[in-house]
Amino acid sequence: MALFGMALHAEYNVKASAPVFARKVSIVRQLGLTDLCLFTEASYTRHISMTDMATPFQDSPATFEHFPTGALVSPPSHLVSNHVQKD
Amino acid sequence: MSKRIERQRQIIDFTLAALMRRKGKNGALLLVYALVIFVLASVLFCTHALRREADLVLKSAPEIVLQRILTGRNQPVPIAWADKVRHINGVISVQPRLWGYQYDTVYRANYTLMVPLENPPVLGTIDIGSGISKIQGASSGDNIAFTGHDGQPRLFVIRNILDNESQLLTNDLILLSEKDYRDFSGIPTDQATDFVLRVRNPKEYSTIAEKLVRMFPDSRPIIRTEIQRTYDAVFNWRSGLLIVIFSAAALAFIIFAWDKATGLSAEERKEMGILKAVGWETSDILLMKFWEGTAISLTAFLVGVILAYFHIFFASAALFAPVLKGWSTLYPTFRLTPFLDFGQLATLFFLTVVPYTISTIIPSWRAATIDPDAVMR
Amino acid sequence: MIRTHSISKVFNAGRPNEFTALHEISLDIQLGEITVLKGPSGSGKTTLLGLLGCMARPTTGRIFLKEREITSLPERFLTGIRRSTFGFIFQQFNLIRGISALENVMVPAYPNGEKFAQLRKRAMDTMEVFNLVNRADAKIEWLSGGEAQRVAIARALINNPTVIIADEPTAHLDTKLSHEFMSIMQELNANGTTIILASHDPIVYDSSQINRIIEMRDGRVVHEESRS
Repeated sequence: MALFGMALHAEYNVKASAPVFARKVSIVRQLGLTDLCLFTEASYTRHISMTDMATPFQDSPATFEHFPTGALVSPPSHLVSNHVQKD
Repeated sequence: MSKRIERQRQIIDFTLAALMRRKGKNGALLLVYALVIFVLASVLFCTHALRREADLVLKSAPEIVLQRILTGRNQPVPIAWADKVRHINGVISVQPRLWGYQYDTVYRANYTLMVPLENPPVLGTIDIGSGISKIQGASSGDNIAFTGHDGQPRLFVIRNILDNESQLLTNDLILLSEKDYRDFSGIPTDQATDFVLRVRNPKEYSTIAEKLVRMFPDSRPIIRTEIQRTYDAVFNWRSGLLIVIFSAAALAFIIFAWDKATGLSAEERKEMGILKAVGWETSDILLMKFWEGTAISLTAFLVGVILAYFHIFFASAALFAPVLKGWSTLYPTFRLTPFLDFGQLATLFFLTVVPYTISTIIPSWRAATIDPDAVMR
Repeated sequence: MIRTHSISKVFNAGRPNEFTALHEISLDIQLGEITVLKGPSGSGKTTLLGLLGCMARPTTGRIFLKEREITSLPERFLTGIRRSTFGFIFQQFNLIRGISALENVMVPAYPNGEKFAQLRKRAMDTMEVFNLVNRADAKIEWLSGGEAQRVAIARALINNPTVIIADEPTAHLDTKLSHEFMSIMQELNANGTTIILASHDPIVYDSSQINRIIEMRDGRVVHEESRS
């Protein structure tokens, strides 16, 4: 029953947040944004969709990950597939 | 029929009473179990909510972004490209976009400077994100200085603070006019960071992207669907950190399910013998064990999931904060909307409750089928 | 009548510690009587009780309960018969720790699916007969020896059995309680319940109301005696 209450609360909140999302959508359009501002540590964690192949590797392909959130963020699929195509 | 129900009820009552008898041991079990579920459910809720957020919000992201690659790295695009790109069939408009990063040594924060596509601030003024306003203690009307590419500071007046509710998008933004940004960053007038294209027909994205690459081999177009899909890959289970979390949880779970499965205590065995002797069938005893496993599983699952819900959606994922923050000093409060994926929850349920219940029944099988006369001795 | 036809019980058959507890026992036990199995420990009394009470199957031979053969019945039916026909009183009482006396009395009846309120009433009625009402909610660990004994008897009666089987019931009791036990058994017998006891306690087998004594030694019947 508690789960049911939780589901109801979630449903309600999701519906209630519709206007907030409408505003966010409009901000994205007006500013021309491409990414969520989640991890501001590094350029490739801040603009995940815009990053290039080289930046995460910084100085050398063999270096370890500098930034903790880099361990969370996987490279976007279009980076990998485009790269493959170009080669 | 009602006899069967009554039988179930009485066996369940007996089982619950038996669990309460060993409160300490069962309490500890419940706690560990609930903790494992809490961690897993928290991760699931957080990642799903973020992905849904990105999905919904980025549907108005630029249709095609055109970048230029040199030596494998992103480089500014020549404005001259725009003329040729505009003539591609299906492209409505091509707008140069200017944006970049600025590291603030005082606050050790990374900012994103951007010239917005619509309604840029007036010369000399900037709009800043709520995160910047917070760490600098700055508000509308204040002056703020940034050091430009030539080492010279430039003073700006803050026009607006961007709304807190959009912080997952705008937390670290500094919006300024084109002239100000070019002056500040030193980017030449014949270049821009990238282009934003508007296209007549969304089905044409890939075709136009191909045409762009053929036209400018050193360019890289990124289309809107790819931008949106980027966030499906964030928190991918293959990400190092998530593998660690899931492995740890799986290990904890296996350890104490194993502990359960490898045997009953002598007392439990004796009790089962007595029940057998007074007339309980093997099926009755196994039913009791089943309810024992289920009672603990269900309770732990419920407690874990509900706590996770509170953790992520009311406490803004507070326990994950150190991980999500990394080294950033600008960190949004993860006030997420509670999108729930019942498929994920169901999977979690079946992967935890079912194995645990089975691990409770299996060791009892042998004990439950022994002839009760062993009790007589 | 309970009849055994040449039953044997062998433990650990085929292994080095093979042990024959009973050698081809053939007996008739009359219903409505009090029968005592007498003999030293190791004579097979406990094993025989277990077989008579459908707790285990003999290795060879057949057992008939009221003309119906029970040896080859599947386990479920056997358990059902055991539950409804027999009530057991163990040497160690074997009450379940941690739950109340009343709950202990009701436990054997749970699989029957009887309405709880009804079951509870019957249990309380039985406990009243044994003066246990004010101890009904007490945990087993808090009961005195005599109270525990009576709870064990009450539990054996909850399913209204035709036969009561008790294994060395007076082994842990003093003289007074032993006599008390025997008088309870006699009262139950007067109401038609068959009693089968195994004991090497003189208080039991010298009791006046015993109908039959079966003496055993080394898994065999060495002597039978009918009284009254």
